[in-house]
Amino acid sequence: MAKILVIDDNTDLLRMMRLILQDRGGHEVVLSADGADGLSRALTSPPDLAIIDVMMPGITGYDIVRRLREQPQTADIPILILTARGQMIDRQTALQAGANDHMAKPAAPQELLDKVDELLALVIKEADPSVSKAKVVSLLSLRGGVGVTTLAVNLALNGVRALQAEPPRSNGQSGEEADLDKDSPQALRQQFEQSSGQSQAKRDVCLVDLSPSSGQAALHLRVKAQRTWAALPGLGSDLSPDALIDLLTPHSSGLQLLAAPFEPIYANTLSAILVDGALSGLKSCFNLVVIDVPPLVDVVAAAALDSSDHIILVLTPEVGAIQSTVAVLQVMDEVKDKVMLVLNHVSPQPGVPGAAIAKALRRPITLSIPYDPAQAAALPYGKPLAWFQPSSPLAAALGHLLKTME
Amino acid sequence: MDKSSHRRTGTGKSSGLSDPSVKRRGWVTADFFTHSYRVSGAVDVRRLPLADQLNDRTTSYLLLEDAYVSPIDRPGDITASYAIAALRKENVTMVVLVEKEDGMSKKESYGSYFGTSLRSVFITVPQFEMRGFLRVVGKFDLHALLATGTDRFMPLLEGTTFASFNTDFQFNGGMILVNKDAVGTMCVEEVE
Repeated sequence: MAKILVIDDNTDLLRMMRLILQDRGGHEVVLSADGADGLSRALTSPPDLAIIDVMMPGITGYDIVRRLREQPQTADIPILILTARGQMIDRQTALQAGANDHMAKPAAPQELLDKVDELLALVIKEADPSVSKAKVVSLLSLRGGVGVTTLAVNLALNGVRALQAEPPRSNGQSGEEADLDKDSPQALRQQFEQSSGQSQAKRDVCLVDLSPSSGQAALHLRVKAQRTWAALPGLGSDLSPDALIDLLTPHSSGLQLLAAPFEPIYANTLSAILVDGALSGLKSCFNLVVIDVPPLVDVVAAAALDSSDHIILVLTPEVGAIQSTVAVLQVMDEVKDKVMLVLNHVSPQPGVPGAAIAKALRRPITLSIPYDPAQAAALPYGKPLAWFQPSSPLAAALGHLLKTME
Repeated sequence: MDKSSHRRTGTGKSSGLSDPSVKRRGWVTADFFTHSYRVSGAVDVRRLPLADQLNDRTTSYLLLEDAYVSPIDRPGDITASYAIAALRKENVTMVVLVEKEDGMSKKESYGSYFGTSLRSVFITVPQFEMRGFLRVVGKFDLHALLATGTDRFMPLLEGTTFASFNTDFQFNGGMILVNKDAVGTMCVEEVE
């Protein structure tokens, strides 16, 4: 049972909210029909959760949220915006103001109760010191062929391994046949759902392939994506974790993939708002989100980078890659503190020395990944090194990189 | 629009506690778009559906309660709010309604003896482009639809509209009522 404050100038709605939240949901409900009064109550006696309307006289719900976030006693309480303004831009505005979630009126009672439970669970999860907050890592390069997808896939799998702390699988096991059943989307989804309520939920990793078309992440993992991010626009304002999880493709390792569509016709359907909303939803149910950012500086890439805790800029030791890295560093000045340079050797030729590259870029190289001949076989066989050969140079280097980001 | 210091209430308008969706009965909330603003507000539809009020040529204004105004280039920001507002109908380019039923006229709610079909259309109005479906009775005549008839607003089903200057500004509705006088371009998909 939680103490829920509801602020809405519609007195009929307030009576209905008491029926739903108190009589049906079993929560203690505090009602306020005035924005200023509701704000004062929240600051004086912080609730466990606040449900706030937007359109109110005198002070809007967005202003109330901002004021609550400014005060230490209410900075972290979950806030749900419940409003007749139910468009994507309104959801974005609510989240930008500091709300945790947004629901459009009219809201079905059970839907509202489920959302309340979800937000209250968030509080419990965040209060648990053993549960870490989601980390988002983006990988990008403006130059193709430097290994961004390879590194993203292997970094994500390193994340799975680190969180599961299982012994490494050996190659070519006969158990591969048994894996066929375990690989089925139904079995993996069941496993995911069963684990989501337990301590294993904090171990989940999601890989997001934002390529505009023919994304390669699914190919690396040898999974067939039934749904991709192309379905995001169709979700409208429903970017809830449940809706997003339905778009994911499971891998036998436990890694979940939000795959890119195969056809190159969906490139213009993604928007910054959609990407931002999807990443917010994924962050709420995964411990680690790894994003394979397309080689473009556009609003989609910008939204991914804005959501990221770490940005891995990948380059190879050749002049062309160095030049494009200089260019991208110039436009990423605002997020430069999040940027790590990773020098990826994709061929046995040594190329430009790392020291010279660091001097040219005026930034240190965070990690130099040696050439790994095993990678040449990993892609054709669909056996990423981080999962099937964790002691390989590439996998080990990425494991080390992951540790530095903790 | 009319400024008012009236206390904003739902005076005399009960939502009905049996309504599971917590909706204010007899009132429809919608997003009204002019050339420069998005105005969210509630319209009293107990006497006449919203579509019929918009198409009523005997009145020039539509009355709203609880109006919230956002500039079109910042459609999520609320820059003004008033208890009562009047919108000049000819300045309204489109009205976005979440529920299709909220945008149906009286005659549409009665159904039709004639077969209807849905045609996929693309329409541009100032600042916006939109896609959706038109319900067509009998033979479809694009010119007749736009140029004849007394209804100023035409209903677009399952509509999605994007601001032409920023595609992040997207609005979806079970029904979009489009002001025919604001239509710049209207394209219809061929029926296979």
